[in-house]
Amino acid sequence: MRGDGRGPLPLRGARPVTTAALVHVVVSGLATGSIYALMAISLVIIFNATRTLNFAQGEMLMVSSFVGFTVSARVGLPLVGVTLVAVLAAALLGWVIERAIIRHAIAATHFDVLIITVGLSLVLRSAAGLAWTHDEFPFPSFFGNRPITLGPVRLAPASLGIIGASLGLMLGLWALFTHTRLGRAMRAVAQNQHAARLMGISVERVYSASWVLASVVGALAGVLIAPVIFLSSKMGLVAINGFIAAVLGGFGSMPGAVVGGMLLGVLENLAPLYLPSGIKYSVPFLLLIAILLVRPGGVVGRTVRRKV
Amino acid sequence: MRRAALAVGLLALLAWPWASPRYFVFLASLSVVNAIVAIGLNLLSGYTNQLSFGHAGFLAVGAYTAALVTTRWPDTPVVVTLAVAALVTGLVGLGLGVPCLRLEGLYLAMATLAFGFVVVEAIMNLDWLTRGNDGLRVPAARLGPWALQSDTARYYLVVAVGVVMVWAALNLARTRTGRALLAIRESEIAAQASGVHLARYKTLAFAISAVYTGVAGGLFAFVVGFLSPDAFDVFLSVDYVAMIIVGGLGSVPGSIAGAALLTVLNDSLAGFQSYRPLIFGTLLILSLLFMPGGVARAFRFLKGEQG
Repeated sequence: MRGDGRGPLPLRGARPVTTAALVHVVVSGLATGSIYALMAISLVIIFNATRTLNFAQGEMLMVSSFVGFTVSARVGLPLVGVTLVAVLAAALLGWVIERAIIRHAIAATHFDVLIITVGLSLVLRSAAGLAWTHDEFPFPSFFGNRPITLGPVRLAPASLGIIGASLGLMLGLWALFTHTRLGRAMRAVAQNQHAARLMGISVERVYSASWVLASVVGALAGVLIAPVIFLSSKMGLVAINGFIAAVLGGFGSMPGAVVGGMLLGVLENLAPLYLPSGIKYSVPFLLLIAILLVRPGGVVGRTVRRKV
Repeated sequence: MRRAALAVGLLALLAWPWASPRYFVFLASLSVVNAIVAIGLNLLSGYTNQLSFGHAGFLAVGAYTAALVTTRWPDTPVVVTLAVAALVTGLVGLGLGVPCLRLEGLYLAMATLAFGFVVVEAIMNLDWLTRGNDGLRVPAARLGPWALQSDTARYYLVVAVGVVMVWAALNLARTRTGRALLAIRESEIAAQASGVHLARYKTLAFAISAVYTGVAGGLFAFVVGFLSPDAFDVFLSVDYVAMIIVGGLGSVPGSIAGAALLTVLNDSLAGFQSYRPLIFGTLLILSLLFMPGGVARAFRFLKGEQG
């Protein structure tokens, strides 16, 4: 995670790496990885419906976290209330963006929609800066600060909590996609829009639902990660690693997104132990370029062959 | 008629430094530099459908190359410096273009985005060479016995190079390579079927685009006079994409119009930094929704040709 100052690691370079430290690093890697996985899932949900990459995903997360934070600070809600308001705001934002902008451009090339979302991310970040300034705000956490000690291993409750909550959310999504009518409709649209339409599925409804769902998943990821990286107009940058996670897993695949996110989180946290500290921030990007070159279909995915 | 318009335009370009305050001379230089980048990006995106979010990275490579050459060998003629910047950036473009052949659409967008980030990180970390975050002061460019120290001198340098680059881009469409690129734009499959070597020409487009951006980077170094990595962040790449979208994909005059428009807009918003991305983003969305084809197509429409 960039620029949060509380880099995941108290240890550096040449010192020998103990097992306990390694476990600590891997667990905090899995925690950041879960967030990347959630971001990747949001991106994949939208990609599967509208075949475009949503560059504004991170900014949508940021705006909904800010709305939740502000509303509950005014009214004095507990953290559950903050989460609820953030989720509602996210749902509304996702719906409005899809209906007001994306739907009108859906006939255009994916190229155009992609650039529209880039423009949207600029607009949202700048608007958030105007509304809430570009400062960083502390955000309340569901989890305590006291490290949990297991023998020689000390783990941060926040890490474990983030991993647990993310896994729970992923399980919920899995149930949604396999056991509900809406989930099945979304998967059908992802496979083949024409066939889905012929089967009586309202593809437009699936577009809306996908944007709302992706936005809500993003908002939950935002509430989980905001205590760690602080609430700020820049926090949307976390979505870039979500993109990379989605590519690692083979864009379009949900299990792939989870694996990719976890992999990225762990590698990113492990890298500083073995590599010079200067290239730490480049690790995700080098990884992205490497994976695109070697296995563009992702680590777990099949290679998609294009027929001409 | 066309020739007359061209002559008037050139005269206006030459007279500009004598008719306007010093700051506007600088602004005009910057517009021309950005126009060269926009043309380069348009050759790639508009002609071969390869979208790049990493052109700030190419610009940085060109700028730092020119700056380092001038610092080390202050007597190098500026033409040689720019050629070296073009060559180095072109090689980097070739290096990125070959692996990117396998990618298209959003994968390519992300790979180039990553390239932009890696370049900035590299500049920050190679501080023995680039002085990292402290920034690098660029000595004045030299042309034979003269040091181009005034804004006006630099403006003439930029305009001279810019005119050559525009002329080359306009004529590229009439060469074998240009026709191949246009064929790829219309349909990759059809182009391939008519014997266009897709891989070769797509890589070539990457290299040409990088060469344009490298030259612009060299000019940028001299015009601005001071380089630091944060000037080349991803938002600059987005600005370039915005320029060709607003100007018109696949159009050289459109690229120039888009670059000039956004450079001036950017500058007039200097006092309202926090509104800048808001306005740029809105402009990007609105032009895609309501003005696909950009300024270039709007012009053609006004002239009564079909768009």
